[in-house]
Amino acid sequence: MDREHPLLKPRGSRVLLLGNEAIARGALEAGICVATAYPGTPSTEIVEVLSEVADSCGVYVEWSVNEKTAFETAYAASITGVRSLVAMKHVGLNVAADILMSSAYSGVEEGFVVVSADDPSMHSSQNEQDNRWYGLIAHVPVLEPSNPREAYRLIKYAYELSAKYKVPLIFRSTTRISHTRMPINLDGDIPVKRMCRGVFIHDPERWVLVPSHARTRKAVVSKTWREIAANEYNELLVKTINPGCKKAIVASGVAYSYVKEALELMNALDKVTVLKVNMPVPLPRKPVAELLEYAEEILVVEELDPVVEVQLKDIAISIGAKVPVRGKDLIPENYELSVERVYNPVASFLGVERSKQWGEVEFIKTDPPIPPRPPTLCPGCPHRLTYYVVKVSANRAGLRNVIYTGDIGCYTLGYLKPFETQSTCFEMGGSIGVAHGLAKVVENPVVAVIGDSTFFHAGIPPALNAVYNDSKIVVLVLDNMTTAMTGHQPHPGTGKTAMGKAVARTLPERVLESLGYEVYVINPLKTRDAIEAVTSAFEKYKSGVRVAIVSRMACALEAARKARRSGVKLPVLRVVEEKCTGCMACVRLIACPAILVEPGSKKPKIMEDFCVGCMLCAHICPYKAITVKNVPTNGWDKLWWEP
Amino acid sequence: MKRYNVAIVGVGGQGLLTLGALIGDACSLVGQDVSVAEVHGMAQRGGSVIVHVKLGEEPSPTIPLGSADHVIALEVLEAARYATYAKKGAIISLNDFLWPPPLSTYPSKDAVIGALRERGFRLYLLDANGLSAKYTGSPISANIAMLGFALGVDPEFRGIISVEAVEKALSTRFRGRAFEVNRQVLMAAYEEGLRVAGE
Repeated sequence: MDREHPLLKPRGSRVLLLGNEAIARGALEAGICVATAYPGTPSTEIVEVLSEVADSCGVYVEWSVNEKTAFETAYAASITGVRSLVAMKHVGLNVAADILMSSAYSGVEEGFVVVSADDPSMHSSQNEQDNRWYGLIAHVPVLEPSNPREAYRLIKYAYELSAKYKVPLIFRSTTRISHTRMPINLDGDIPVKRMCRGVFIHDPERWVLVPSHARTRKAVVSKTWREIAANEYNELLVKTINPGCKKAIVASGVAYSYVKEALELMNALDKVTVLKVNMPVPLPRKPVAELLEYAEEILVVEELDPVVEVQLKDIAISIGAKVPVRGKDLIPENYELSVERVYNPVASFLGVERSKQWGEVEFIKTDPPIPPRPPTLCPGCPHRLTYYVVKVSANRAGLRNVIYTGDIGCYTLGYLKPFETQSTCFEMGGSIGVAHGLAKVVENPVVAVIGDSTFFHAGIPPALNAVYNDSKIVVLVLDNMTTAMTGHQPHPGTGKTAMGKAVARTLPERVLESLGYEVYVINPLKTRDAIEAVTSAFEKYKSGVRVAIVSRMACALEAARKARRSGVKLPVLRVVEEKCTGCMACVRLIACPAILVEPGSKKPKIMEDFCVGCMLCAHICPYKAITVKNVPTNGWDKLWWEP
Repeated sequence: MKRYNVAIVGVGGQGLLTLGALIGDACSLVGQDVSVAEVHGMAQRGGSVIVHVKLGEEPSPTIPLGSADHVIALEVLEAARYATYAKKGAIISLNDFLWPPPLSTYPSKDAVIGALRERGFRLYLLDANGLSAKYTGSPISANIAMLGFALGVDPEFRGIISVEAVEKALSTRFRGRAFEVNRQVLMAAYEEGLRVAGE
């Protein structure tokens, strides 16, 4: 199987690779021996695909519990002379920011690349921060490719640059790089001989950042920073296309691919000089200064913040150039760019005709209109059952006006009707910390809702804080025994590592018990029992006991996949027409995508192809009109209970 | 330079990413440059999804509005939502399947199809879920069916990647029985596409 893995094809092969796979392959060719990450869209597949080939390449790969530990693990390798990679989504770098800053001071012995996959437009994120700023804060160079093909070439060079200056380096991808596939011609092989065993050299002045050492290191950081800005400007980092024009466009990273296509569409490739930037931080001074000498007007096109623009203006001022520089006054600052968002600003800048094409596109009108389709919990999703159980139980226990603080994961979708069991969602682990703070200032009962992987990532310190500082909250861990949102990666609660090794399983209830919680473990598939258990947990909570609940049931996608592969028949439900009164309880109370009401019909219908047999609708139906249609395999429910 | 844009639209979980990757693989096999832009994570959980497939030399990742030559729609409401990406007179290959979002009010299938026809798109319908069920017992291969069908109805599309190239691509992503069944779905839908387009 491994030999056929696209990541392991020999030099000269042409393979279709996802941007993240291209980054992984490039890093392998550069000779990495350690790769770590915490999964996060759009970065996940980098380390996921490396884990698939880890054994055959002799690379150590891990899913760390969070980005900070992932960073530390890979960084440690690099200070002993072993090349390494750490990957994370943009907000993950916030979690690892402390060690990022320090790593810039102490530097590395061998190539070390931090891949930051940003998410402009927030396809799957809580914000769209532009992580190129981190380079300016930390004094760490940032490289950004314009497409997946370039990502493959550029990451290889990133390792050379990191090793040459002994500095960590940020490789900034975005959703449209990481999650775009392109055919790529492999122009190198994965080296057989690599430095995979490191040597740690005792050097406290470098590795122990007490104030006196840090002051010395800061001078080194500044010197290296200036050297890189002055001396690194080869064509991989910055390329001047069609030099000598009066008008010039400076385009960084993925923005270049939109600019190029817009210029092609308007037949203006020969009318303008384009400075294609792949090292936005620090912006190479020499090619920029040259451009400032002959260009009479400059437009900077970059996605999100004006990171290149401010540096370019700074260079212009420092050399006394008087060229007008346009940028975020013309190019949208929010959300991802596209050909249509770039076309008219570029056309105006060049004085060619603007396109009306995109203004004329109209939506299809129907009556009623096409309804929005936000992401939703899957049919059979254990979170749906848990939310139902928790709401019914709160009611029974007499908990009124409950505030459910929320967290990052599929379960965030519980903010939607009919559940409304997520009233906040800010960052990883935030549910418990925010619940604690709320409990100090409001009278409402507060339930912190957090997923298993998120609990291990950043939930333990705030759970401890709530005990230490004595707040009245319930911690509810939704344990589906996987990191579901990012595509089912293992975590400490699964007893399996990224490389498939069986290890000790750390159960959330054990952690919570040791912190001082009385823990109730429920199986929401057994809905009636679960309601009983949660009701008594809530009654205990009311009487002042510190309570936590762990709701354990496998992700429906995983359970259904396992059933398919092992030939297990899950229950399939149907509405018995004669018994159904059309009360719509099943529709309104659980919002399952497998239950629909056809136009003109007064009764719901179960789409049997999409039903995975969680039975919640059958439990809810007051008329017992929903029944199991087939004969499920004996022991089918075990699939929902094992990792 | 030849450019050809295909928008694949539907509901997260319908196999849109696999469909996009198969076109990408087939292009790669025949030496055609392509880019296939997807979304993962939260965006996939039963939500509305578009995959941008752009054939051409080193394209930018996303299809501009009004610029898709062909829209492959796995679901009726999504076909209407993303019709803004289609060129005037573009081909829409449509799975004859409406999957309403939970708790929504929505137009009937006929109303949506009527509105699409009125816009002047060349609309071709296939019951891809049914075709898939015939071979696999479930709608799991509806994506493969829609790809075969789209090639069948669109001579320009199959002029760039042949159904044989897609078949070969299929063999790299699926093995054994899964490959054999998907191959049958692909070919049956392809034949159906040729038939409805009158070839």
